[in-house]
This record gives sequence, structure tokens and C-alpha cells, in this order.
Amino acid sequence: MSDTKATQVTLQSNDLTTIKVDRAVAERSMLIKNLIEDLGDEAVATEAIPIPNVNDPVLRKVVEWCEKHRGDSIQSAEEESETRKKMTEIDEWDQKFMQVDQEMLFEIILAANYLDIKALLDVGCKTVANMIKGKSPEEIRKTFNITNDFTPEEEEQIRRENEWAEDR
Amino acid sequence: MSRGGAPPNNSILKTLQNTEMIDTKPLLPAEILVTILDYLPVADQMRFARTSKRMREMVYDDTRWVARLRSMGCWDEAEARRRFEEAMKRRRDMAAASAGRGAAAAGGGQRAQVSEVKDGFETLAVGGLSPKQARAPAAQDPSKDPEALLGVIKTAQSVRGHARQEFGRIYGALAPFYFDLANAKTHTDPIVFKVFRDPERQAQMLANLLVFAKSDWAQGWQQREGKLGGMVSIFESAVLREFEQGYEFWDVDGRMKKYATVLSTLNGGAAGVELFVQKHPIFTDKEVLANSMDCINQASSVDTVTLEPSRRFFETLTLKVNEQADIIGRIFPDPGPVFWALLDKIREDIVMEYATPLFDESHERSIPAYLKSISGLFEQTMQFFRSLRPPKGSGAQQEEKAKEFALKVFEPHLDLYLQDELDHFTRQAEREVGEWEKKLSAQDASAESFYMANFANRQADKTDFLTSFKKVVMMPVSVLPTSLSLPIGSPFASSKPASSANGNTLHAASPQPSRPHSPSLTSANPTERSASPMPGKAPTDELAAKAALMTSRLEGIKSLFSIEVALSLVHSAKASLGRVAVFISLGGQAGGEAREQCETIFVTLLRILGGRHVKPGFDKAVAHLSQYNPREVSQHDKGGVAPLVTFIELVNVGDLISQMIDVFYEQQLAGPKIVDRNDFLDPAGLAKKKFEQMLDESVAAGLNKGIDVLMDEVEYLCATTQPPTDYNPSAAAPDTLTVEKSAGGGPPTPSLPPANFDIGPTPTAQRIRDLVASHTSMLVGSTDKSMLDVFNGEVGLRLFTAVCKHLKRQRISTEGAIKLIADMNLYFEYIRTLKNQDLLAYFKALRELSQIYLIDAKHHAKEMATIIADSDRFGGIFRAEEVYEYAERRADWYQVKREVERAMYGLECLLM
Repeated sequence: MSDTKATQVTLQSNDLTTIKVDRAVAERSMLIKNLIEDLGDEAVATEAIPIPNVNDPVLRKVVEWCEKHRGDSIQSAEEESETRKKMTEIDEWDQKFMQVDQEMLFEIILAANYLDIKALLDVGCKTVANMIKGKSPEEIRKTFNITNDFTPEEEEQIRRENEWAEDR
Repeated sequence: MSRGGAPPNNSILKTLQNTEMIDTKPLLPAEILVTILDYLPVADQMRFARTSKRMREMVYDDTRWVARLRSMGCWDEAEARRRFEEAMKRRRDMAAASAGRGAAAAGGGQRAQVSEVKDGFETLAVGGLSPKQARAPAAQDPSKDPEALLGVIKTAQSVRGHARQEFGRIYGALAPFYFDLANAKTHTDPIVFKVFRDPERQAQMLANLLVFAKSDWAQGWQQREGKLGGMVSIFESAVLREFEQGYEFWDVDGRMKKYATVLSTLNGGAAGVELFVQKHPIFTDKEVLANSMDCINQASSVDTVTLEPSRRFFETLTLKVNEQADIIGRIFPDPGPVFWALLDKIREDIVMEYATPLFDESHERSIPAYLKSISGLFEQTMQFFRSLRPPKGSGAQQEEKAKEFALKVFEPHLDLYLQDELDHFTRQAEREVGEWEKKLSAQDASAESFYMANFANRQADKTDFLTSFKKVVMMPVSVLPTSLSLPIGSPFASSKPASSANGNTLHAASPQPSRPHSPSLTSANPTERSASPMPGKAPTDELAAKAALMTSRLEGIKSLFSIEVALSLVHSAKASLGRVAVFISLGGQAGGEAREQCETIFVTLLRILGGRHVKPGFDKAVAHLSQYNPREVSQHDKGGVAPLVTFIELVNVGDLISQMIDVFYEQQLAGPKIVDRNDFLDPAGLAKKKFEQMLDESVAAGLNKGIDVLMDEVEYLCATTQPPTDYNPSAAAPDTLTVEKSAGGGPPTPSLPPANFDIGPTPTAQRIRDLVASHTSMLVGSTDKSMLDVFNGEVGLRLFTAVCKHLKRQRISTEGAIKLIADMNLYFEYIRTLKNQDLLAYFKALRELSQIYLIDAKHHAKEMATIIADSDRFGGIFRAEEVYEYAERRADWYQVKREVERAMYGLECLLM
């Protein structure tokens, strides 16, 4: 580790456990990447990088994903055209990876959002979208913990407005 | 419930480590919900909207739906802006009325302005589209109002704030078919094919669905779109089969038209067009498929092709294609591209199949035939493409297409052709010149052998002849008088060696090849020429033979280059240019190359004509002129110096050629805009200038020599034809044989008897004047004015010198002075015609001078002395000493000398 460029970094979750990962893996997260750049190699080599928003199981999960996808090319924001690129299917590994309970899924999404890992965030969102497909409004509220602030009339009004979209 | 937000920046590690997070049940923030929404199918999005007001706001966001509309290509930003501005205007008018209701849709996440506008729309229903109307078709069973469904995409409007409704209208109409189709097991299942029975509508619906599929990006869109694509292609191939069957029965207005329309509605009809073009009967039509070899086989000779069969071929083709154009117009809803596609195939399969073997074959047989066939066929091809009548709506691009197709047909041949054309022209031109030269030398040889035949012992070889010629010319005086009856002791004998040596060296330097002879290009010339250099009785004397040969050579100047050759060169250049020029109309790179080639042909023409033909001709002519020696020519009664006359004729011919080139340039190059007359760097223009310059220089050089020759002749005439008695009649013996003066003047005319006191000029002066005048007048108009002026000036000056010189050799009596004055008047009058003031002064002085002979010196010595000393009288041309010298030529000078001198010197003393 005498080289100026560290090859491994230590991440510390909010319950103070640490995980040692390859720097390339950690840099899937734009947040960590920028952090390393700002702090300098030396600081990173000697001290753990705290990830205060993420607990240990989630961090491990995220690191697992990053290990798997370390070789992927990171797409820049511009590549996403303004006319919403069509949703690509979630690949098999990711599907398995996302087979966790809903709480964990949301944690991963939040962690991905916080750590700025675009691809992981996308996979998470897609998974959630699949999850709530075909569900009633009430089920959706439950899933996302949304409080209904509509009167039944109002809700019915919206339903009628969008009758065209209902499955037949 | 939100998380304690430690700002995710790069603060000090310690601070981060010390931060403690209080975690609870996770709740996704709005931006993540938006992302999730994007991945949801439309139906789920709408259910999502029902969960809470905030979620509704998120789902209803206009940009979300604008993006969908845009993906289907039915969002027009300009239209939306226009509507927005109109709405803003109305809204300002109604601001008060709508003010109270703004709160209803209040919520975060949207720009204030947009939401405001939205409010306006909702209450005012701008654009004639209310949400109710938009929903109307969807509310009904699609099978009951199928017509509205078909036009749903076409009638989509772009209204800001109404994108969701608009999308809803489309979605409501198409989504049921779309998802039904996506779930269908077989191609008979989908309700699309049940609701719509006729293929036109089915096609329309499928086309709509293809567009609609672009707005579907929820999970599984790939399968759905793939399925749709599969259905469409099944449908397409079914329609195509129908179309093909109709094709086979040539059911133009029935099935073909119908299914072509169906295909065009479905996806533009490319498959139908391709089928139509591929299977078109014209490609197997026996009437059309002609054999291009006819053009070669029916030709009258190897070097040509007849373009009649190809003309017939194109005529038939034009007829057929125009017929097809009508049919295409009847079958296809958009006939233009179909027609051009068919034509492109015709070009490739028929025209090129026809043309290429013809070119290849003719190229192998003969180049001229090849050149002719390419150019001719090109013109016919262009004509063909231009004379087509494309279906309506595609005529505008006809010229462009014609060029494009013609270029495609000829592109593979063009480079080779252009090169061949130039090569062919160069070869032809060089052969022409070469042949002419050969003819010359052949004639030369025959003429020589004719003359040399009389010298059995000496005619061994040409070298021998040359040496003998040299020898003879070296010692002329002893030989000349006998053979050529020149007067012995001619006063010009001293000048002879110089000129002969000159001729000699020149001759040695340029041996045989410079021996031009009549090339017999016109029928008149050879006879005329053969008459003069080969008299009936061959000269027996060796030198006479040489002289005759020389005459023949000088005579030959006329044909040193021939206008006929020039004419035929220009002619073939014109043919080549004409052939290449048709390609210029192609434009673009090919046209540019053709244009360059045109210029190159012109430059080559000038190079060969100028460098190989005219210039050597002039050079030879000049060389021969300088060899001319009046004393070697037996006949001087022809009214002119033969070589000079021929040279001047040469100048005339050169001028004619130059004019010919100029006309050619104007008409063939500048006229049709092949070259730009004002472009001074243009190679053709430069070549032309160079050619003209070369001509001018040659003429100038020739004229320079010509003056020498002319003056030699003048001096010769003076020396040989002026008897002393002309100016000194009293000195002649009264019993001299006298001959009546004849106007034509034969060789040396004995003078008139003194008794016959004629005051007219002497025949010698007459002849000199005629000689000079005829030569100068011959040049008028043949060369450029300033050069002519210089020439005339020089001639005049030299004539003056010659006359002065002559005068100094005469002895003049008082009686003879009258003759002299008459002579001088004659010269003066002649010079006046040249309109050269400077020159006139000289001859005026000469006229004055001649008067000193008239003075009766015995009695008027003093006056004579005065005249001699009066330099003003001679306009400064003669000084007193010179005048004195002339005075010495008086016949009675020795009698009056004393008187005059006394008067002179006395006078001088007086003056001093």
C-alpha cells in the first residue's frame, strides 16, 4: 500500500462494522468515488470511509451487487435521452438478487440513491414497479405507506377520468 | 418520518463517523417514486394516482404524457406553443372569472406558470377539445365506432396541459387492440382482424398500432412489440400474396391498386414496390431486349457504328416505360418513388445490359467506333430519360434524376472514354501531320530525282548533291552568267558570297527533311506547282537544276503548312469536342472531368497544329527566304519575288488558321460555356494566346527576312534593268538598237532613244514600285496592323536606301533628270499611299534632290551651290556633303565642278 494509489478501501456502515473492498468496486458509487478524490489516497488508505446512511446488511448487499457489476460501463446522465429510454428487462442475476423482503428492497434503493449508484437504483425501481403492477390503490398505499387524503368521491372522480386506461 | 438528513458532502471523516442515524421504516422519496412510475404500465399509473393527492399530481404531470405523445410523433411543440399563446390571451380576458378556481389544482412539483395555464384550459376547454370529448371514443365499444379509431393518431392535438387527455384518447382507442394482439396465440385471434374486415382498415389499424407501440416502455414491451411486428409481417405477406396474384393477372385497377394501397397504409408499401419492380414484365419483354451488337454489325465500316438500332431500342423503351408510368400512377397511391425505383432497375438491367457489351465490343474493334458509340448512346440515354413522362407529382426532379441515371449508366466507361477520346484525337492529329510531312518528303524526293536524272554521273546520293550545291553556290559569278544569263560584272557581285554562304550554312544545318514540296492537297495546286518547278525541258546545267530545285523549294513555301491539314485537324477536334461536350451536362464531378477533357483536346489541337505544323512551316519558310538569291532566279518577270510572295501567302494562311482557331474557340468552347473567356488562367485560353503569339513571332521573323529578300530583289532590278541611258540619254550611241517601250517590261529593256522625249518614269522604277507595292499590299489584312506599319516603314526606309545607292551609281544628264524626277515622283506617290509621315519626308527629300540634276550648272552654279548647302530644303534628310556627293553624279559634273565648288565654298565663306 506504499503506492500512491490505494487498491483497497474500507467502508464503515452506520453500525460501525467495516467491509474491505477493492477500490474499483467501491467506485461504482459515485459518492465514494468523489469522496476518495477529495480526501486523497492517503486518508482513504489508512482510515475507513463512513457510510452513515446505510446499515451493515444493506451495505453488504450493495457491495455484493457492486462486486458483480464491477466491470460494467458506467453510463453518464446524458446518455439517458429525454424521451425516456425504454425499460430493459432485469437480468436473471439481478432478479435473484432483488428477491428480498420489501423493507430490504427499499433500503437497497435508498442506499443506491444515497451512494449514487445509478444502475442499482434502476434495478430497484424496476423491481418495485413489477411488484406493484396490477395492485389496487389501497394495496399501493400500504406498500408505500401513503396516507389517503381523498374523499371517496374524489377518488371515484379520478377513476372515471382515467377510465380509458383500465384493463378490460 | 423523514430521515435526519446529514448533507451528503465530503465533510471531515470524523464528523461523519460521529453522526448517528435514527432509522425507521423506510419510505421512498418522491424522486424515486417518479422513477418507479416511469416503469409502470399506464393502467397502474392511473391506479397510483388514486392513492393520494400528491401521487395524483405526480402522475398527472404534463411532461410525462408529452413524452409519450412525442414518442409516437404526435406532439408538435410549435402547435402547442401557438395554442398556449392563444390561451394566454384569452385567459387574460377571463382572468377575473377563473381567479377563484386556481386553488383546486394547487400542489407542489409543478411550475407555477404551467399549472396556471392548465387551470385556464380546464375551465375554458381551449382547442375545441374537452376531456369529455377526448374520452368519448374510448367510452364506446371500439367495434361500434371503428372509423374514429382509425384516425385517432392522425387527429391528435398538441395542447399543453392536455397531453394526458390526448394520450388517453389514443390509448383508449388503441390499447385494447394492442394488448389483445400481444396476447394472441395465432394470427387469427386478434380482435383487430375481427373488428375490421377489409384489409385497408386492418392495415390502417396495424399501422396505428405500430406507432402506438413506440409509447409502450413498461416491462415486456419487447415481447409485445415483437409480437406486433410478427403479426404485421404475417399480414404484410398475405397482402403481398394477394398483390402478386393480382400482378400475375395484371389486374391493375382491381387487386393491384387495392393491395398496393393497403401496403402503403401499413408501412409505406416498400415491399409491394420491390415486388412490383423485381417481377416487372418489362425485364423479360422480348420487344425491349434488343441486341446492341446490331449497332456494330449494321455499321457500314469497322470504324463506325450505326446508332439507328439503339435509337429504335430507346424509342421502344420510352414507349414502354411511359406506359408503365401510367400504370404505376393507377396502382400506387404515391407513384413517384415507385416509378424511379422501376426506372433505376430498368437502367441497370436493360440500359446497361444493352450499352456495356456494345461499348466493350466496339472498344475492341476500333476506337473511333467506340468513341462514337459512347457519345451517341449517351445522348440517346439522356434523351430517353428526359422524354419519359413520370407520374404526377414527381416531374420536378426529372432532370436531376435523368442526370443521375445517365451518370450511373456511363460512370464505368467515362474515364476510359475521356482518355481514349483525347488519345484518339492526338493520334489522329499527329498522323495527319505526319502523313502530310511524309507526302512532302516523298514529293521532294521525286522532284529531286527528276532534276538529278540529268546528271548521270553525279546523282549518286543526296550528300553528293548537297556538296555539289555547296560548291556551286560558293563560286557563283563564273558559272551564273552562262547558265542563268545574268549580266557579267553585276555590281552586286560583291554581296553575293555573303548571301550564298548564308544559304549554304543554313542548308547544311537542315538537310533533307527541310525540303518541302507540294503536298498536293488541293487539286489545283499540284498542277500549278508542277508546272513551275518542272518545266517541260529539264535544265541540263547542274546549277540550273539546283536553281530549279530551289525555286521548287521556295514555291513549296505555300505548302509548308497547309490550310487543308489545319482544317482537318480542327475538324476532328470539333468532332471529339462535340462528343465529350455532351457529358458536361451531367454536372458534378463527371461533368467537370468532361469539361477539363474538352479543354485538353483544344490545347492538344493547338499544340499539334502550332508546334508540329505551323511553326516548322514558318521556320522552313524563313530559312528558305534567307536562302533566296535573286541572281539565281532566271525569271524576274513574274511581278514579284516568288519566295516572298509565297511567304506572304503563308502569313495569310497562318492568319486564316489563327482566325479559324479563334472562331473555333468562341463557338465550341466559350459559346457553350465550357471555358470562361475571362479566366486568364484557363489552360485553353492560355494555349490559344500562346499559339497566336507563336504565329505573330513567326510572321515577324519571316517579314524581317522578307524585307531583306525584297530589297535584294529591288537592288537586283536596279542593277540589271536600268540602262545607263535612262538618265543620261545623250551618252548613248544614237545608233543603239531601240526597242519600243512596253508597259509590261520584259527583262532588261533597252532604253528609249533620246529623240523620243518621254517624261514618264523609267520602266525600272515602274517595276520596282510595282514589286514593292504588290508585296506590301499583299500583307494588308493578313497580319496585325502595327506589325504591318512597322513592316511598311522598314520597307520604305530600305527602299529609300536602295534608291539612294542606285542613284549614286548612275550618271545623270540634264535631260535624263526629267526621267529621274518622274521616277522619284513615282516613288513619292507610292509612299504616300502608305500613310507614313516620317517615311514621306525621306522621299520628299529625294524628290527635291533629283532637281539638282535639272539645273543648268554652267549658268547657275551659284544657285546649285545654294541648293546643295540648303539643308532645310531636304528636311534634314541629306546633309550638304551628301547632296554634294549626289551632285557628283551629274553627267557634266567635271565640267561644272569648279563653278559649283567655287560658288559653294565662296558661299560658305560668305556665310561664315
